[in-house]
Amino acid sequence: MEPQLSWYLALSGLLFTIGVIGVVIKRNVIAMFMCIELMLNAVNLTFVAFASFFQDVTGQLFVFIVMTVAAAEAAVGLGIIIAIFRNRESLDVDDASILKL
Amino acid sequence: MLVLLFILFGGLAIGCAINVVAQRNPLYCAISLIGVFMSLACLYLMLAAPFIAAVQIVVYAGAIMVLVVFVIMLLNVEQEERRHFKMGILVPAGVVLAALLIAEVAFFISTVNPNPVLQQTDIGLTSSIGSNLFTSYLLPFEITSILLLMAIVGAMTLARRTGVSEQARVVPGAQVLAVSDVDLNASHDHQRLIETQTTTEAARLLEISGPRSNEERE
Repeated sequence: MEPQLSWYLALSGLLFTIGVIGVVIKRNVIAMFMCIELMLNAVNLTFVAFASFFQDVTGQLFVFIVMTVAAAEAAVGLGIIIAIFRNRESLDVDDASILKL
Repeated sequence: MLVLLFILFGGLAIGCAINVVAQRNPLYCAISLIGVFMSLACLYLMLAAPFIAAVQIVVYAGAIMVLVVFVIMLLNVEQEERRHFKMGILVPAGVVLAALLIAEVAFFISTVNPNPVLQQTDIGLTSSIGSNLFTSYLLPFEITSILLLMAIVGAMTLARRTGVSEQARVVPGAQVLAVSDVDLNASHDHQRLIETQTTTEAARLLEISGPRSNEERE
């Protein structure tokens, strides 16, 4: 018996759910950022599974683009995190709950 | 054989993902996340996508996680304190809704889709991805490059330190100067080298006001 497409989809759904739970319960900005990366990776797994099982290269190209977006997001997101830390000297999201700096 | 590998790497991915959420030290979160990326790369290999697997390790586990770990170390992040939630009725409601969702997903997976079979293909190879990327998908590729340029400019704008002269050097250990410590209009023409241990000391030596206490800020 070979691994089925549905197995990969279930695994991807589980990883995505864990990522969502992390974003909801975490209060540290960097930990929330990492949970978002986890969700992006879960979606990437879905793309690759569909691309392989349906013999279509489009899914893999989209994974490539998602990775680029994740890299850009990491650069800008960590820049924002450093800016927040410089203003508030804390990484707790509850300390940054008002827009005023 | 493939089933065993799937269970091994899938289980590893889920275990590491749960550890990412459960850990309170961000550095341990980051290391667990690298575990998730590695096991996902192995799953990509099983799905006949060697190029994506390589990029996953190089870009995610390499570049992005190095950046994250660098920021964690730079900001000297403390552990999250344990928090107490008041949940009450939310716990049984959540369990019921989760069971409903899982039943729904299981129903659709088992009934709707006849499972396709994984065949031997060349769609995951670098040459196939490259030729498609530069012919049919050239426009998304170019848009992505513009996005990267915007990210570079944005990151530099956000992380730039204003108001401190270029000659002022703050030694590592001082971490990042808070904006409240820096006079935006200050100009320091004279060249000085400053070696300090703390941000406060650096601010005093640079003749800019020391860090404000939390009460003043409120």
